[in-house]
Amino acid sequence: MKALRPIVATLAVIALLVTVVALSRRRSAPPPAAAAGATPAPTPVPGKLVLFFPGDDALLHRELREVPELPEGNPLRIRLVVEELVAGSRDGYAPAFSWAAVVQAVFVDRQGNAYVDLSTPPADASTGTDGELALAYSTVNSVIANCPGVRRVQVLLGGRQVSTLGHLDLSRPLSPNLKLVAP
Amino acid sequence: MRLRPILALVLLLVPLTAVGVTVTSPQGPSEVFARGELLDVVALLRLAGAEVQFAPAAGSYNAAAGGHEVQFTPGGSLAVVDGRLTPLPGPLRLVDGHVMGSLPTAAALIGPFGWSLRGTAAAPELAKVGGTEQLELSVVRAPTGTTLVLRGTKQRPRVTTLPGSVTLLFPAPVVLARPVVPEGELLEAELHDDTLTLRLAPGTEVASSYPLEDPPRFVLRLAKAEPVAPMVTPRAGPLVVLDPGHGGEDLGARGPGGESEKEITLAVARATAARLQAAGVTARLTREGDETVSLTDRTALANRLQATVFLSIHVNASPARGAHGAETYYMSVDASDPQAAQAAARENASVPPDTLQLILWDLAHVANLNNSARLARVVQERLNALQGIRDRGIRQAPFVVLTGATMPSTLVEVGFLSNAQEAGRLLARDTQEEIAAALVDAIAEYLHSPTPAPAPTAVSTP
Repeated sequence: MKALRPIVATLAVIALLVTVVALSRRRSAPPPAAAAGATPAPTPVPGKLVLFFPGDDALLHRELREVPELPEGNPLRIRLVVEELVAGSRDGYAPAFSWAAVVQAVFVDRQGNAYVDLSTPPADASTGTDGELALAYSTVNSVIANCPGVRRVQVLLGGRQVSTLGHLDLSRPLSPNLKLVAP
Repeated sequence: MRLRPILALVLLLVPLTAVGVTVTSPQGPSEVFARGELLDVVALLRLAGAEVQFAPAAGSYNAAAGGHEVQFTPGGSLAVVDGRLTPLPGPLRLVDGHVMGSLPTAAALIGPFGWSLRGTAAAPELAKVGGTEQLELSVVRAPTGTTLVLRGTKQRPRVTTLPGSVTLLFPAPVVLARPVVPEGELLEAELHDDTLTLRLAPGTEVASSYPLEDPPRFVLRLAKAEPVAPMVTPRAGPLVVLDPGHGGEDLGARGPGGESEKEITLAVARATAARLQAAGVTARLTREGDETVSLTDRTALANRLQATVFLSIHVNASPARGAHGAETYYMSVDASDPQAAQAAARENASVPPDTLQLILWDLAHVANLNNSARLARVVQERLNALQGIRDRGIRQAPFVVLTGATMPSTLVEVGFLSNAQEAGRLLARDTQEEIAAALVDAIAEYLHSPTPAPAPTAVSTP
């Protein structure tokens, strides 16, 4: 065993050295933002959003909301709009979502379709037709009202396309439905 | 004995040092960050010649080359490939600042740029797909059946059908331009060089296959393998198909006391059917008991029976707790949907339909929409006449259960289970009978009104 000691010690030192080098390489790996080059932080520009929340009368109601910063880029603005919807109405309307949804990702394609990926609702979530209409068209109408260039919106759940929650066809991007909006 | 901890330390530390794998590519070997089965997809995309940029505003990456574009986000399992949302084989993860994905996931992101990624996660092989045809497989679903369309090939593959699957053997190797999205009867697609194997839902088989030109594509028409439904014998009178919403594992909306929507819809549908039969109108239910029936199967039954009217019965729920009353819906269509219907008609005909067939399809589609609106109006009017029911009106929305219906169809929400007061009423047998009577009156008024119901909109297929 004594004869093995130098070999084992050498191996341990080599392993430690390689590990240190590897860890330093990992630490030096560029963060995602850095990968695209430095982008100067924009000056916050306050603005107003038009949000749509469901009421007792089966219609969606407009609610104006001031935000301290209105992002210029659509993906960030879409994220803000949906997060403000999730935060709920300040005018006493019903929630647009029946669960504390988290915006996981936002895409916008070249055809003006926006894809909003929300966290999955709990398994026992009971939405009903009005609940689904509120979820879909609060999101669709609000995003399109605030984000120039977006023509349709598709809601994704848990990183996946869903065909339906039981009633509405959610398998493709939806156009705004202004007939559901209170005059 | 004192050596054991040192040996254990060595064994523990050595795997941590594995931070890269060597990728073989036409440019020679390159090292790419890796962790276990995950590979740095951004590095692989750059090796494939794509320009990859991170868009801080979007929180997503954009890869572009040769007119193709792929957007993806760490943490997601989706990408936008050439403007089209596409599920990835696995999720993308951010590990130490690197966007990582499994080899199939990385291959799916690289494929659109004309590159293949094969081998293993420990020894990936990146290769340019030169001269190989890039296929795009899409699933076209329509009331007349499902069709698989392979675009981008002039080759005519040899088709071999087996129970539960179909194999296409191409004369030369092909690649898939983007990952295949399982949909409907198509459960999985697996490509090995020149052999594409498609796994189909149980009871599905290929009815016919044929190439089409301009643009070149190969079409597989699917059909149910089960015995063909008996021919519909000519009926003396109308047939009403009633669809009790939800059922089986799908409870539907829940009441304050845990009551299920599926029980109320079945009770109302049964009462409605009994009253229709008593009035001499044939009625069928899409489910006779507490069973799970898919939305498309419900519509398919009405189509197969060539029903005169399709009425889907539901009980509502809303996050607005004060919401109460009845409302009736009929199908809404986006401006692009007639084009989609035409495309579906085209792809579902075993031979390319002529212009007249497409015009007939479109006319029948519009006529059904008008009659659906008329049916919705009489249903809502009759429900409004009931004591204590608030009129929430007629509305349009894209409902799955109405999408494939080839006859006038509506979805009625007879009240709100999320409203405690209304839930109590809806659970009462008397209320269910009142609603059934109102629905029967509405159907009778619709059937006896002067405007004739149009013929089903199915495109004839020889």
